[in-house]
Amino acid sequence: MKTVSSLLDEEWHKRYKSISRLNIRSSIYDVTNRCNLRCKGCFFFSSDEDKVAKEEMDLKKWEVFIDREKERGVNLAILIGGEPTICLDRVEAFYSRLPTFCATNGLIKVPRDRFPHLMVGISLWGDEEDEKLLRGKDTFPISSRNYEGDSHAYYLYTITPKQIGKTERIVNRIRDVGLKIHMQLLSNDEGVEEFFWTHEELKDIRAEMDDMLDKYPDVVISSNYYHEVITTGKMFDRQFGWGECPSVTQPIDRRDPRPKHLMGFIRWASDLKTMHRCCTSETRDCSTCKDGAAHMSWVMVNKRAHIRSEQDLKNWIEVYEMFAKLYQFIPW
Amino acid sequence: MAKDVENITIRIAEIMINELKLEDVTPETFDPEIDLVDEVGIDSMDLATIALVVQDEYGIRIDEDDYQKLTTIRFIAEYVQERM
Repeated sequence: MKTVSSLLDEEWHKRYKSISRLNIRSSIYDVTNRCNLRCKGCFFFSSDEDKVAKEEMDLKKWEVFIDREKERGVNLAILIGGEPTICLDRVEAFYSRLPTFCATNGLIKVPRDRFPHLMVGISLWGDEEDEKLLRGKDTFPISSRNYEGDSHAYYLYTITPKQIGKTERIVNRIRDVGLKIHMQLLSNDEGVEEFFWTHEELKDIRAEMDDMLDKYPDVVISSNYYHEVITTGKMFDRQFGWGECPSVTQPIDRRDPRPKHLMGFIRWASDLKTMHRCCTSETRDCSTCKDGAAHMSWVMVNKRAHIRSEQDLKNWIEVYEMFAKLYQFIPW
Repeated sequence: MAKDVENITIRIAEIMINELKLEDVTPETFDPEIDLVDEVGIDSMDLATIALVVQDEYGIRIDEDDYQKLTTIRFIAEYVQERM
């Protein structure tokens, strides 16, 4: 039987031990159905998830709900929407009770005197042209001004097919405002023309992502294996899709056989009662999903599959470390 | 009593090998002291799977809060034996 210490040297075994018992139990929460943008391709609005549930407006009910989530064993609350920063009282209700991550478009600044250590992931879609086309405005000037130099913020850079050959400029823009960057790929839920990925484009962008990580290791929070998995959709001989996705809401998961999954994962709607199917849109074609967190989690929940060679296990460790850094379980 | 724990240890190893499809190991060669998380790479979902089978097999209940104690096959066997 292959064991961890038979595959790793002391340095890597130490790295493994620092993450192997983290036991991260995450769930995702739609903090609000409202947003201050309407981006083409936002999975929340593209599948009418804003209409699925009537938003709970009583803060006390949010507090009771979050206490129950904590009792359930959640130790990482991932806040999305809509735009969570529209409802800072609710964000605070999570932050004061649980390790919390807040996704945001960055247009409203999270006040640091109120949320000193809240990890914030700022969305950025491609470059200025992509932003204007897909989101109605280039959000970077505002978000970068709001979060410049913030040690608890990073850009979640959603790369579009039009970004091939252009990612380094974006990485440098982000580096120049003293922030870090994590990359994922656009899933094009609304079928916007020219924003579908071709096989060749995915190969090219993988090489470019590898290059960015190699050139800017202090800025880019990523791993080569993650790039491989997210661009190919493959982990060993397995293909990402509905049958493999780890971030399906557990109480309503009827897949048989059930794949390895995030323990206790639920994506909650803003009424605090309705559960969404999974971490992204219910209407998304899972076979073309490029969600970064879903692919990361896919690797992470399949640890034993990676205990087969030194390189496979190191790949697993690097992906887990990447996730743990993005959600502040380990330092940058 | 020691014999009981020994027998349970072998059976737990067998359950683990079958449920988790571990290769190149038999119930007799599975080191009962090996750390299941740090060395075998078992995660909480694996442990939940094993716990279900063990609970059915021995008619006991394994509290999820106790999972973190169950780091070796020996510890699992002793836990089971105490609750039988």
